[in-house]
Amino acid sequence: MSEKVEKWYPGEGKLTTGRAILYVILVLGLISAVIRLFFGLGSTTNLSDAYPWGLWISFDILSGVALAGGGFTMAAAIYIFNLKKFEPLLRPAKFSAFIGYLVFVIGLFFDLGQPWRIWHPMVMWNPQSVLFEVSWCVMLYTTVLGVDIFIMALERWKKYDLVAFFRNIYLVLVVAGVMLSTLHQSSLGALYLLMPEKMSDLWASQAIGPLFFCSAVIGGMGVVTLESFISSWAYKRKPELKLLSSLGKGLGIVLLVYFAMKVTDLYARGATVWTLDKAHFFFYLELFGTVALPAILLTFSEVRNSIKGLYWAAGLSAFGVVLNRFNVSLTSYGGYRDFSYFPSAIEIIITLALIAGGILIFDWGTRYLPVYHSELSGKTS
Amino acid sequence: MSKAMLIDTTRCIGCRGCQVACKSWHNLPGERTTFSETWSNPRYMNSNNYTRIIFREVAQPEGKLNWHFIKRQCMHCLDPACESVCPVGALIKLKDGPVVYDDYRCIGCRYCMMACPFQVPKFEWGKAVPLIRKCDFCADRIEIGLAPSCSTTCPSQALVFGDRGALLKEAHRRIGAHPGKYYPEVYGEKIVGGTAQLYLTPVSFEVLELDHRGFRTDLGNVPYGIYGREWMSKVPWVALGVGGLAVGLHYINQRRAEVQDQKSQEGKED
Ligand code: SF4
Ligand code: SF4
Repeated sequence: MSEKVEKWYPGEGKLTTGRAILYVILVLGLISAVIRLFFGLGSTTNLSDAYPWGLWISFDILSGVALAGGGFTMAAAIYIFNLKKFEPLLRPAKFSAFIGYLVFVIGLFFDLGQPWRIWHPMVMWNPQSVLFEVSWCVMLYTTVLGVDIFIMALERWKKYDLVAFFRNIYLVLVVAGVMLSTLHQSSLGALYLLMPEKMSDLWASQAIGPLFFCSAVIGGMGVVTLESFISSWAYKRKPELKLLSSLGKGLGIVLLVYFAMKVTDLYARGATVWTLDKAHFFFYLELFGTVALPAILLTFSEVRNSIKGLYWAAGLSAFGVVLNRFNVSLTSYGGYRDFSYFPSAIEIIITLALIAGGILIFDWGTRYLPVYHSELSGKTS
Repeated sequence: MSKAMLIDTTRCIGCRGCQVACKSWHNLPGERTTFSETWSNPRYMNSNNYTRIIFREVAQPEGKLNWHFIKRQCMHCLDPACESVCPVGALIKLKDGPVVYDDYRCIGCRYCMMACPFQVPKFEWGKAVPLIRKCDFCADRIEIGLAPSCSTTCPSQALVFGDRGALLKEAHRRIGAHPGKYYPEVYGEKIVGGTAQLYLTPVSFEVLELDHRGFRTDLGNVPYGIYGREWMSKVPWVALGVGGLAVGLHYINQRRAEVQDQKSQEGKED
């Protein structure tokens, strides 16, 4: 058995089966991307006038950004709430957040009808547009994360005087990151404030901004946990179980808060909750299967102290965030149209390739950058 | 004064002259169409069809069929949702009334398509580098004092172009002068804060079953842009609040930890 597992381990940069598959997906994605650029959205995607936004908006953008919420969540926990014990989780969280945003920007590039004008919001302003604000926040936040990664690179290059300089202004970066994240995580939800009539009652809420923010914290914590397990498996490290179980406790609390927010919102708006159709099925799955269930699971200390238990709870909650984004952007909209939408092969391949690319960059980064340890003795940042 | 168009559907004879006039003014290609379950032709508005006449047959209780012809195109909202959502300001409401689009700004995000309450903006799906297309109220004609080409063509004066105030007055005069002939509400007078297209119909839009054909009746009288603007007006305060809170909490928590450290140190010394 050990041999069988062996070939999946990333190991020391060898071309293992796992990596080979990722590279194949990436190459397929690159080919699809070229086709997409040459032939246009109409012929390569299943998007239409009835469904202007599809898989790429739901997954690459809405879900991707929420799942990359780990960077700002961990930074806030450590620097603002002074929970210093979580420091070992900070660097991987920030690194994966940076990759998440990078993937997001690339995904957005292929989604735009005029990809080469992606910079337009920088110079052409419309301050009443929520999307305008989102593009600025994402741009700035990706820069903040980039500086973070740059500091790691400086450490590797042993430019310690520069590292020291950045350490001095580090709080500025943290505060900017938390502020920008709060804004755009919630504003991504606020995009949907303008289309109440197109959405199912179950998700068309005036509180969608705060709900998106809260679930982004959940997504971030879930991904940090999962990623910690997966990388400890992949790089044969011991998982930081004690740390993760205390993070799991926090995740449980946030899940409870989110559940309460959701229920209060539904109750206050008097939404019809108890019927059976497709939208309600996904709604129940989201609310009970991926919010309530992991929240309950995490109240048991047996769950919180076992790798398997944490794995499931974190996995469910992260999946729930993705499901929520799909529900808001597609399920909810389905009742409005007399048409249906299912992504085309090219849409799916490009999305898979973005994920594969993200994993490969992460894998590369952990080997070349001090992601799991600081090269300076003492304080990690 | 903002311009508008009074669309009296009782006068429309369904000749589709406006569709043709629109195509010739905007130099749009024709479309090979096929038979379908409706007389409306072409079947959908798209990047080549900025306007179309929806044909509705409404059965009367006694079995008689009533024909209705309802023209569809951009409503040129007074406070357009599309203008408020566009991240680069490619859609602009002109003082004269038209809501126009700037080919050179648009990034193709398609948020306007999602946000328009009447599903008007359409995308050039057939092109490699597509733009948004929609009725522009013939802004170029209005600028030089002409009426939009559809209303110029209309043989039965179902499309009357003029000042919005005056047209509204005329609409209500017709409703008052011919009780029973018109449904006593002008679609477009108040919906989403008012539009430049004002519709007079013999029966309500609900009876015409237009909810899934681009004319919803559940939109309310508030311009949708307000929701976005309300959100945006809070953004600077949220930014300041979160920033201030973050800095404050950082120092408080740091200080608290220091004090605790000291205490535990002292405890050990005892
Ligand atoms: S109908 Fe739609 S496209 Fe036309 S002005 Fe109103 S919001 Fe904009
Ligand atoms: S598709 Fe173009 S016009 Fe429409 S909102 Fe996006 S940038 Fe503006």
